[in-house]
Amino acid sequence: MTQPILSVQNLTMHYATRKGDVSAVDDVSFDVMQGDALGLVGESGCGKSSIANCLLRLLPENARILQGAVRLDGANLTTLPEDQMRAYRWKRIAMVFQAAMNTLDPVYRVGDQIIEALHTHIETMTNAEARERVAELFKIVGLDPALMDRYPHEYSGGMRQRAVIAMALSCNPDVIIADEPTTALDVIVQDKLLREMCNIQKTLGMGMIYISHDIAVIAEVSNRMGVMYAGRLVELADTADIFARPQHPYTYALMSAFPSITGPKRELTTLPGEPPDLLNPPPGCRFHPRCPRATSVCARDVPAFKAMDARHSVACWHPVEG
Amino acid sequence: MLKYIAIRVAQIIFTFFVFLTLIFFLLNAQPGSSLIDQFTDPNMTAEMRQAIAKSFGLDKPLHEQYLIYLGNFLTGNLGVSFSNYPRPVIEIIFERAPRTLILFLSSTTLAFTIGFTMGKILAWRRGKVTEYVATIGGVTLYTIFLPWFGLMMIWFFAFILGWFPLGKFLDPVLWRGAPFNSDVIFGQMLTTASAVVVALFIVYFISRRLDPIRRQPTQIGGALVIGAAVLAVWIPHPAARYALDILHHLILPIATLATVSFAGSMLLTRNSMLETLREDFVMAARAKGLPDNVVRDKHAARNAMLPVVTAFVFGLALAIDGGVVTETIFSWPGMGQTLLQAVSRKDIPLAIGGLIFGGSLALTAHLIADILYAYLDPRIRYS
Repeated sequence: MTQPILSVQNLTMHYATRKGDVSAVDDVSFDVMQGDALGLVGESGCGKSSIANCLLRLLPENARILQGAVRLDGANLTTLPEDQMRAYRWKRIAMVFQAAMNTLDPVYRVGDQIIEALHTHIETMTNAEARERVAELFKIVGLDPALMDRYPHEYSGGMRQRAVIAMALSCNPDVIIADEPTTALDVIVQDKLLREMCNIQKTLGMGMIYISHDIAVIAEVSNRMGVMYAGRLVELADTADIFARPQHPYTYALMSAFPSITGPKRELTTLPGEPPDLLNPPPGCRFHPRCPRATSVCARDVPAFKAMDARHSVACWHPVEG
Repeated sequence: MLKYIAIRVAQIIFTFFVFLTLIFFLLNAQPGSSLIDQFTDPNMTAEMRQAIAKSFGLDKPLHEQYLIYLGNFLTGNLGVSFSNYPRPVIEIIFERAPRTLILFLSSTTLAFTIGFTMGKILAWRRGKVTEYVATIGGVTLYTIFLPWFGLMMIWFFAFILGWFPLGKFLDPVLWRGAPFNSDVIFGQMLTTASAVVVALFIVYFISRRLDPIRRQPTQIGGALVIGAAVLAVWIPHPAARYALDILHHLILPIATLATVSFAGSMLLTRNSMLETLREDFVMAARAKGLPDNVVRDKHAARNAMLPVVTAFVFGLALAIDGGVVTETIFSWPGMGQTLLQAVSRKDIPLAIGGLIFGGSLALTAHLIADILYAYLDPRIRYS
C-alpha cells in the first residue's frame, strides 16, 4: 500500500466556552490515500465541520487543538507556524465550503477571486497565464469561460457552486475538502454536481474528504466512509462494506433510518433520544445512552477504535455481527 | 451606469430648484425690509428709502422678484451683497467657498481615513484593551462640545505651545505688501492638491492591471514621481513662503475637526466590520492562504466600507453647518462665517448665496455617494 497523502492521527479539539469546554472532536484518526474519496457522515454538530476546519486550521479563537496531528508530506499541520501554514492552505488542501453560495466575495469578479488564489501561491504567474488557467478551470467544472468577468450576484446558485469548485481546484491541491457543498441547491442540480465532482476528482486523482449529514450523498460520492457520532469517529470502512455490513450500532441505526428504493419494503426505524451535550459528554462510549446493545462496560470505558479487518475499523464493545 | 447617473443628476437638479424656491421665500418671509435695515441714517426720508428699494427692484411683488431672481440665477448672477455693497454675491462665494471646501474636505477625509483604519483594526483584534481605550476615547471626542474643544486646542497648541497661529486664514504681517494675491496662491495650492489626488488614483488604477510582481514597484515609483513633481513646482515657486503660511494656518482647524469627527467612522467601521468578519467569504479568503492583512483589507474591510462611505459623504454635506461654528472659533473667513454674518445683518442676497452653497454641497455629496456606492458595490451597479 502506498503512503497516505493526508493522515489525521488522534485529533482532539475543544471549544472553550463560558460554560466549559465543548469536546467537539475527540481522538479522531483516518488516512486519505491518493484518489480516495472519504465520506464523513454524522448528525449536525457531531464535529464533521470542526475536523475540516482543523485540517486547514481555520478555527475560531476559542478552539484548542489539544492533541493529535494532521500529517501532510511529513509536516504536522497542527503545530506549523501560521505563516508556513498559509502555504499549505489551498495549495495543498483546498476546501469547498458549506455555504458555498456565500464563499465568493460579492465585490470582486469571480475570475479575479480565483486569480487572487493563483497569484498568492504562484507569485511569478502573470495575469495572462492566470486568466488562461481560470478559463481552463471553468471548462473543467462546466462553466463558460466568458463568465469569469462577471460578479457573483450575476451567477445562479449552481453556477456559483461550480465557480467555487473551480476555485478549489485552481492550485491543484492534494486534497479537497467538500463540506456539504450542495446542501443549498435543489436535488437535481445537487445530483448533477455531485456526479461531476466525482468525475473531476477521479480524473485529477486528488484526494477528497466529503462531509455530509446525508448518507445517500456519501454513498454516491465516496469509496471510503467514516461515521461520526458526538465528536468521535465510530466506524471507518469502504463505503460498500459499511452499507453491506454496518458494525457499529449507530451506523446500523443510520442505515435503518434510510429508505431503500430497490430493497424490500420495511418499516423505517428511528433512533430514540438526542445526541449528547458535548459540554458534558457521557462517559465511556458516547453513544451508550441511546444504544440498544449497551451494557455496563459501555458506560464505563471508551471503546478502542479497532480494526475488524484490514479496511474496516469500528469503536464499539458490542459490534453488530455482519 | 451612465443612465443611472443621468437620472440621479436630473433628480438632483430638480431638488435643487425646489430648495432654491424654498429658501428664497423663507428668507423673504422675515418681517421688516432687509434692504432698508442696511441704511440706518435717521436723516433719510421715506422717499429716499423708496427710491433705493425701487432701484433694487424690491418694490415689485415677491413672486415677480422670484422670477427675476431665477432668471438672474440661470445667468450666474446672484445679486449684490447688501452688507458688502457693491460686491456681487457670486464673487464673495468664489472667494470664500474654496477656503471652506478645503477645510472640510481635508478634515473629513482625514477623519475618515483615521476612523476607517482604526475601526478595522479594532474589529480585527476584538476584545483587546486597545479596543476599550479607543472606543471610549472616540466616543468622548465624538460627543464633545466642539466650540469648547476648539478653544482648548487653540489655547494649548497656539497659545501655550505657540506651534500654530491663533486663527485666521493668513498672517497679515507677512502678507502686507506681498506681491501676490492670497486667493490666487490658494487657488494654485488647491490645483496642486487636486492634481496629486488625481495622479495618485491614476497610478493606483494602472498598477492594479499589472502583473502582481510589478504592482508594488509601480505604486511606489508613481508616488515618488508625484511627490518629486510637487516639490519641483513649489520649491522654486516665488510664493512658496506665502503658501506655507496658509498651510500653517490650516493645520489646527483641520486637526481639530478631524479629532472630533473620526470616531463616527471608527465606530461605524468597527460594527460593520464585525458583521462582515462573520461572512463566509472572509473564511474562504483565509482558506485560500491569503496573508492576514489581505484578508482584512481587501475582503473584510472592503465590504465593511460600504455603509461607512455613505455616512462619510453625508457628513460632508453637513460640513456647512459645522462650518458656522468652526469658522467662527478659528476666525476662518469661509462660507460658514459669511453665512452667519449675512443672516445677522439681514443681507438676504448673500444669505441665499450661502445657503445655495450649502445646498449644492449637500446635493453634490448625495450624488457622489450614489456614484461611489455604485462603484464600490457591483450589486447596485447593474440593478
